[in-house]
Amino acid sequence: MLTIKHCFLRSSMTMMVLLFIVSSTFAQQLIKGIVSDKDGLGVPGATVQIKNHNLATITNLDGSFQINSSLASGNYVLSISGISYKTLEKSFVLDNNSVQTEINVTMEDDITGLDEVIVTGNLAGTTRKQLGSFISTVKGDQLTRGATGNVLGALQGKTPGAQIIQNNGDPGGGFSVRLRGISSISSSSEPLYIVDGIIINNATNRVTNTSSNYDGSTFVGTIGQNRLADINPADIDHIEVLNGAAAAAIYGSRANAGVIQIFTKRGAAGAPVVSFNTSAIFSSLRKSVPVNHSPTKFGGPADGPGAVTQDILLPALTTTTPVTRYDYNDYIFRPAMGTDNNVSVSGGNDKTKYFASASYMKNEGIIKNTDSRRYGFRVNLDQTITSKLNFNLGLNYTNSLSNEKPDGNSFFSPMNSINIIGNIHDLWTRDALGNIKAIGERGRVNPVSIIEDIKQNQQTNRIITGGGLKFRPIQGLSLDYSFGIDNYGQVGQTFIPPFAYNVSDGFFGGGAALDPTRNGYASTATNNFFQINQDVSATYQFNINQDLFSTSQVGYSGQYEKNTYSLLQGRGMAPFVQTVNGASTLLQGVDDRSELSVSGYFAQQSLKYKSLLNLTGAVRVDGSSVFGPDQRNQKYYKASASYLISEHAFWKGSSLSKIINFAKLRVAYGQSGNLTGIGAYSRFNAYSSNSFLSRTALLSSGTLANTNVKPERQNELEFGVELGFLNDRINLVTNIYNKKVSDLLINRFIAPTTGFSSLLDNFGSLENKGYEVMLTAQPVRSKNLTWSLTGIYNHNRNKAVKIGQALTLLSTNQGAPVAIIEGQPIGVFYGAFFARDASGNLVKNASGYPQGERGIQTSALVYSITRDGSGVPVQSNPLIRKIIGDPNPDYTASIVSELSWKKLNFRVQLDAVQGAEVFNADWRTRQGVGNGLEAEKEQTGVYPRGYINSFYGTVEEWRIDDGSFVKLREVSLGYNFGNLGKVRDIGLTLSGRNLISWDNYKGYDPEVNAGGQSTILRGIDFGSVPIPKTFSVALSAKF
Amino acid sequence: MKKYISAKASIILIASTLTFSFIQCKKDFVDPTRATEAQVLSNSKGLTGIAVGLQRVHTLGRGSSLYNLVTINGLLTNELFVVNSGNTSEVQLASGGTAVDGNHTMLTTFWTSNNKVIYDANLVIDNAKSLSDQSYASGLIAYASIFKALSIGNLSQFWEKVPAGIGTGITFIDRIEGFKQAIATLNAAQSAIGTNPISATFTSSIPAGIDIPNTINALKARFYLYSGQLPEALAAANLVDVTKKSTFNFDALSLNPLFEVATSTNNVVQPKDSTLGLVANLAPATNDPRVAFYTSINASILPRFRINGFGSAAATAFPVYLPGEINLIKAEVYARQNDTTNGKLWLNNVITKTTDPFNVFANQPAITSVGSQANLLEQIYRHRCIELFMSGQKLEDMRRFGRPTSERKRNLMPYPLRERDNNSNTPADPTF
Repeated sequence: MLTIKHCFLRSSMTMMVLLFIVSSTFAQQLIKGIVSDKDGLGVPGATVQIKNHNLATITNLDGSFQINSSLASGNYVLSISGISYKTLEKSFVLDNNSVQTEINVTMEDDITGLDEVIVTGNLAGTTRKQLGSFISTVKGDQLTRGATGNVLGALQGKTPGAQIIQNNGDPGGGFSVRLRGISSISSSSEPLYIVDGIIINNATNRVTNTSSNYDGSTFVGTIGQNRLADINPADIDHIEVLNGAAAAAIYGSRANAGVIQIFTKRGAAGAPVVSFNTSAIFSSLRKSVPVNHSPTKFGGPADGPGAVTQDILLPALTTTTPVTRYDYNDYIFRPAMGTDNNVSVSGGNDKTKYFASASYMKNEGIIKNTDSRRYGFRVNLDQTITSKLNFNLGLNYTNSLSNEKPDGNSFFSPMNSINIIGNIHDLWTRDALGNIKAIGERGRVNPVSIIEDIKQNQQTNRIITGGGLKFRPIQGLSLDYSFGIDNYGQVGQTFIPPFAYNVSDGFFGGGAALDPTRNGYASTATNNFFQINQDVSATYQFNINQDLFSTSQVGYSGQYEKNTYSLLQGRGMAPFVQTVNGASTLLQGVDDRSELSVSGYFAQQSLKYKSLLNLTGAVRVDGSSVFGPDQRNQKYYKASASYLISEHAFWKGSSLSKIINFAKLRVAYGQSGNLTGIGAYSRFNAYSSNSFLSRTALLSSGTLANTNVKPERQNELEFGVELGFLNDRINLVTNIYNKKVSDLLINRFIAPTTGFSSLLDNFGSLENKGYEVMLTAQPVRSKNLTWSLTGIYNHNRNKAVKIGQALTLLSTNQGAPVAIIEGQPIGVFYGAFFARDASGNLVKNASGYPQGERGIQTSALVYSITRDGSGVPVQSNPLIRKIIGDPNPDYTASIVSELSWKKLNFRVQLDAVQGAEVFNADWRTRQGVGNGLEAEKEQTGVYPRGYINSFYGTVEEWRIDDGSFVKLREVSLGYNFGNLGKVRDIGLTLSGRNLISWDNYKGYDPEVNAGGQSTILRGIDFGSVPIPKTFSVALSAKF
Repeated sequence: MKKYISAKASIILIASTLTFSFIQCKKDFVDPTRATEAQVLSNSKGLTGIAVGLQRVHTLGRGSSLYNLVTINGLLTNELFVVNSGNTSEVQLASGGTAVDGNHTMLTTFWTSNNKVIYDANLVIDNAKSLSDQSYASGLIAYASIFKALSIGNLSQFWEKVPAGIGTGITFIDRIEGFKQAIATLNAAQSAIGTNPISATFTSSIPAGIDIPNTINALKARFYLYSGQLPEALAAANLVDVTKKSTFNFDALSLNPLFEVATSTNNVVQPKDSTLGLVANLAPATNDPRVAFYTSINASILPRFRINGFGSAAATAFPVYLPGEINLIKAEVYARQNDTTNGKLWLNNVITKTTDPFNVFANQPAITSVGSQANLLEQIYRHRCIELFMSGQKLEDMRRFGRPTSERKRNLMPYPLRERDNNSNTPADPTF
């Protein structure tokens, strides 16, 4: 820590020196004017810059600007750029003898976004036109009309190359983002998130669902809420998404899985403007699942003496008992309400600009007694100190709280509590003392206990703050310093009151005897996270000659993070006491601490030849504390080029330019390293401790680590073509890429006779090949009516290469046979499958039971089938296995249609995921316990008795379901009522989200994942809360 | 022009110097939550921690060797049945034959945990020798050797060939050689505590329950018997004090694994019925109190027969060996040496018992005439199955007593694919 402080001391001293350099003043000349749009309205927030000089400002709310120039008299070019407008350049003469220079300009709409200034990957900013790699931009107003309070939810379907999945329908449910597939096996594949230059943490910390009873020792994935939930979409001005490693030297190694850079709103000079927005949100279950209506079950009664449940799996039972059937979905789900409120003030003068906002969101979950709420405050400040020195400051406080129910991976979660029992129990009957009763004979938890009694909540207090200094000591040179701090404390609490009936020990019950030392559970867990990042860079821009323009950059960045996690837990609860001190048996606690730091240097050189050609090359040297001392000088190279053919005079003059008005080719190559690819201390071989029978037990890890492992290295090559047709009526952006991760960090199985189960080392590689197409068109573009269409198509093929092991089959909590197989996509489902005849029908034996295919398996994917004379698999041979499903889609796509007629705006977004399979564990469970339709068929005699049981435990293919869908993701209808007195821009918006899904899925929703944000566990449906359909009504106004 | 560019270049240089003046931040962080191998192996407390860890790995949880020994053996030999067919791995064992293959989860876990224990036990045994306090060291060696021997024994009871040791590309030896290795480990431990008796300091450093000297003799007797060294088995059995108990203990925090996984959930395995999985002519007498000791009856909720005995409650201690086993070893040795008189004597000792340190007693009338040697051996097998119900020894017994293969689901286990895929010395799988 001392060294860290030292680091900061050094950096602040450097900055003071820089400040001191700011000195003399020059003769000043005022350059002023107004920037207006085609309708004559002022354009606020546009950047006005004197080209090739470090003089720039931002327009005020009325579009006016002022620049105090100290330049010599002469000819200059003023460059004006603004989001949604084409960059405009205007030559002017500066005469220091006159009082002031006035320049008024009118901006043209930029439909294509080609003139947007992109700062991701280049501190000095570069227009999209010049970029050598693909970066997409999503505007803030596109994020707030989709009836979601989550940034990642709002981003779904809006950026090419990204697959954004809501893994859970809880109000605080997690989201995962994959930019061009996964980029690691062992670590997260989530992109790097940066908010206003501050690297922010998006970890999923388990402060609730803490006990190993949720998943035992098996692999459960990354479950829970990821911390991007703390960011309020209403604060966002725009988002830049960088899909690959190719472009960004400045983010270097942490950009392995891409970068999502969020820019929040900033103030503009002028009278303060108060913006106000309030909405009411209504959510409900989009689709339920059908339940069994058989009037009888096999065997004895459902409850009480002689109770027999799971009769389907006990084929010896042939007698029947009449039963009453229920639909428990009606009990656990409810229509939910919510509200989202935002108020902001922005304003300032030519020197000081501010933006401040406050927000409150509350959203109920569709599972009873679940909700989440978020308070947020933000202040952004920009201050000009002198004409050469600016600083900015941002402060964001968030308080997020959610009342949850246990995660779906346990059988005491709302979803799995109704999945694991037949729909034959009257859940609500109570005994003489008013206690609810046991479910059957197996010690299952009554769903009523979960909805009414189990309490689980988590709360996060988070401060994200950062600032920066920009100093331009001389013409062309800019020195930038920025720092960011992300600090949060997260607390999670669980209380499972002692059950009054027989509940298994594994579900925190006390068994049939209600053992007081075991019955009930309480936990409290805290996670404290601190991260600081600082970046220093110097940028020098100058004209080498008339045609050649150079931008040189050097920089340093360093990040340090510290995480402490502690868990206190106990069971055998005293009645009424909800805290751990009410526990009679204290369970092993957790006290985890880790620190890591990453730092690196880079140098980047860009050359621009006329407006035709842009070349950029960069080198970066990075090191991380996570890897050994010998691995801390990793060098990464990058290069990119863009060629704007349509800028040639011959093109501009030809008739071709009438059809294709814009044509650009680009190519980018980049390397990066996954510097946080393993845990802070994973490379050490050490003994962990556990209490055992009042003594300390030291346990060696099951994993042997190569202490000199190195970071995974990614090489990405990207080609792109961008075309504009018919004066930008139609625009096409295409990317084709090949992303290869070598030195893959794999915790690979080794022979147990070595004393270890697995070895963590660099093995093999991973490949993602694919393409992205984005087509935008404006079929109608008139004064009153515009209609625009955007289509995005993403195709990604992922495979494991030379991982040194033909098959790695993971043992997962959800029972999903997830495999990593040489030459195959990561995370496929591998298991036994049904024998089928030539026409694809199930082969059945004499009893009428479908058969698992049997034969001789010679390798993971090679086998020979053995059938007897009647075509039935030879029973003496073992079941054979193959890839039975792939959760990676063949393609994802989205279509957005936006229609504006006068003050009315109508927008529709459809998202498609096609060619993906889901491991529907829940569907099978519903048949086994007797509440599904297949169970009904056996109970009503459609299937022979014993049908389901004959393959239930052996043929995994039965759990594979069609995960393809097309969803009506967003629909919104807005009307702008205009002004009413001093109240301006009164708007009313009706929105809907996830209203319809076109799919063949047998469960609630194919778009969930019980593995949460896990990289490998994808497409698993096990107790996940389905994603609700949501409506919202929003009212907005400005003062 | 050139001059101009060099001026620009010097600006870049100055800016770079400023930037690079930021020193690289600290990168050598130490994990405060764990102890390094070097630290623990050079210190008596560290070695004790590892030794206690051996018992934890051996006995705690669904992944423990103890749980897997009892359930794998129980399912293969008809002692147990699977309550919920959603337990895939257990169902495969109950089906037996080709349903049990190299991917089998429980066998893989059992293989892995036994090898892990051998690996860490070797570290304790080797490093204890360099400790200055030799009476502490002898305790460490003896305690760790018990788990090492049990682990080698576990492997030898289920696999035809067993690893010759720990290491990369390890070779395999015959399972009988495996038992001999376990015996050698126990002999070395016995000689260590013979030279330097275990100090009280050591005894108080490990969990209570295990009677080290008696356990060493008892396990020697077991493994001598399994490897066919009959006189040695008898000699070792005679040294065991059968009035003493030696147990793996559990408490409210560290639960008896059979209770935790099976008894408390009623969702994994339960005893088949009151025959304890024996064929009709060998089934226990209906009034044999051992049936009620090992199984309880739930009259209202299925299944009727439930785990009792050493899996009855959360803190129920599990015996490392039973006094009855020791006396049955004596009976068997005599019987195999065709000394039916002494064979009958020791068998009757078990059959007529009315008290027992663990309350496992048959209270049956003595056998007056045993008939042939084969008949005596069959009765010894029968009473081993009853006396040692759910102790994990029955598969070995079935093979040794030549029971028909139809009575068991598999004879010897296939080698886990995790071993085969990564060790070319892995032998071919047995067909049954």
